[in-house]
Amino acid sequence: MKRLLSSIRDGNGFDIVLVAFPLGFLFLMAGLPLLYNILMSFQEVDMFSLGTFLRPFVGFKNYQDLFAQPETWPILGNTAIFVIGSIAGQFLIGFGLALFFWVNFPGASWLRGLFLVSWVMPGLVVGAIWNWILSGDFGVLNFMLRETGIISGNIFWRSDPNYSLYAVIIANVWLGTAFNMILLSVGLASIPGDLYEAAELDGANAWQRFWTITLPMMRSTIGAIISLGLIFTLQQFDLFAAITSGGPNNSSNVTQYWAWDLSFRQYDFAKGATISVIMIVFVMFASVVYVRSTRHEVRG
Amino acid sequence: MSDTNRNRLMLVIALIMAAIYLFPLYWMYITALKSGSEMFATPPSFWPSEPQWATYAFVWESRGMGRYLWNSLVIAFGSVTLITVLGVGCAYVLARYRNVWVDIGLFLILMLQVLPASLMITPIFVGFSQLGMLNYPRLAVIIAIAAKSMPFFVVLVRATFMAVPQELEEAALVDGNSRVGAFFNIVLPLARNGILVSAILIFMQAFGEFVYSKSIIQAVELQPASVGLNSFMGPNTNEWNNIMAYATIYVTPILAIFVLLQRRIVSGLTSGAIK
Repeated sequence: MKRLLSSIRDGNGFDIVLVAFPLGFLFLMAGLPLLYNILMSFQEVDMFSLGTFLRPFVGFKNYQDLFAQPETWPILGNTAIFVIGSIAGQFLIGFGLALFFWVNFPGASWLRGLFLVSWVMPGLVVGAIWNWILSGDFGVLNFMLRETGIISGNIFWRSDPNYSLYAVIIANVWLGTAFNMILLSVGLASIPGDLYEAAELDGANAWQRFWTITLPMMRSTIGAIISLGLIFTLQQFDLFAAITSGGPNNSSNVTQYWAWDLSFRQYDFAKGATISVIMIVFVMFASVVYVRSTRHEVRG
Repeated sequence: MSDTNRNRLMLVIALIMAAIYLFPLYWMYITALKSGSEMFATPPSFWPSEPQWATYAFVWESRGMGRYLWNSLVIAFGSVTLITVLGVGCAYVLARYRNVWVDIGLFLILMLQVLPASLMITPIFVGFSQLGMLNYPRLAVIIAIAAKSMPFFVVLVRATFMAVPQELEEAALVDGNSRVGAFFNIVLPLARNGILVSAILIFMQAFGEFVYSKSIIQAVELQPASVGLNSFMGPNTNEWNNIMAYATIYVTPILAIFVLLQRRIVSGLTSGAIK
């Protein structure tokens, strides 16, 4: 006992104690729910069996039922559009801004940091603001588009099934662009400047320098940012809750919102768990890509 | 073109881009000051003709915002405390050693960081209801947020500990400090700033958290401001000036903290997520 105490005070026991509690906590509160989720996706769960662990097993019935539902494939398609649209918008605008702020001028780094306010704001507030901006009759975005002659009639962003998903994508692009830009700026700053000097001496123009130096040197950063973008867009929930609630008629519903909707609006916890399992497999795949592309830095 | 002129031109373009990007924020502040009829004017006014400052007091009273914000603070402080107490030691050990176990631990932590809250809430809710945790809804939310955000915190703080020279700790051990003494007297004070910035980032996240609070907390008097804002926005609402006033009151403290500590937050964030 004495040896144990002295090891904790002054030996490896100290490290083990420090690391055991957080890992134990994470296992209990994140690892076990993950396993429980998989278990529930194979069970029949309703309001009466909510309080017990031993529910009737149904095999793959939840999965079969899920894919027999008519809305499943459209919602999976929406998720793909949402992810691709959001990542493309965030990345391209973010990269453009990062390249612009890369040119050093007084105040550049401070102004660049200011963009990040979109990322630290609560998602619900971002959603509320965009809900109002995108409003059909009185929204300021419709007004600006009308004034510049891009559209002739109002677009009902939130209630038109053709546009509702894009309403959320616009808000999500705004929310995530700054984060992309900051990370891309860090990547740009780490490219050694003498590469450009050498290329300039050899007569390469700006366009050639971008394609032959900037892009290849940024490859691992870009890989990490795209996979981080995938992870973050699949986590995006607040904007759906604040702007469209997945409607109208599931036209802007995505899996991460649908899973919650099934569990907490329709009380079909088994279906909610089933979608969660499918999506978590996707997210895990993205995170393996992310971990691989940042491995060298993380290990330091 | 001379250098100063070029710098001025770049600064002007940058200011214009920042203005465009931050327009939604401006629109929130402006709408909150408009009257009910001015809000729906066509064309919309970009500067309120008669600022309605009374809207703030009205919304604060009628929506019971004091209670909502108090709950948000309780949840945010609770989760930051729990995360800091558990996460700092974990980050320290993961920074101090380099072996296969540390790699495995880091990998698991990075994997946990990516699980979407809206997918994890189903098993967490069912599990908590079986354990009777739903009788203490705010505590349940704090624990759920801690499990969600701790991996991010550990990754950020680990980067801070990596920057503390190990020789300093070794010197303290040679001078007769125990491991515990060296950790609390030497390593922690040196890493204090990084820990603080990471805690502030986690605090801002937890202050705006929505999914867990919405699903777990049923009693209105225990709900945080994010859930309050959600129930304020019905499907066919037209009180946008009041909603924007609510959003303003909710978000301005966070924005103030961010603008004040901007440099530190940005550098802390970038050191952890990516190099």
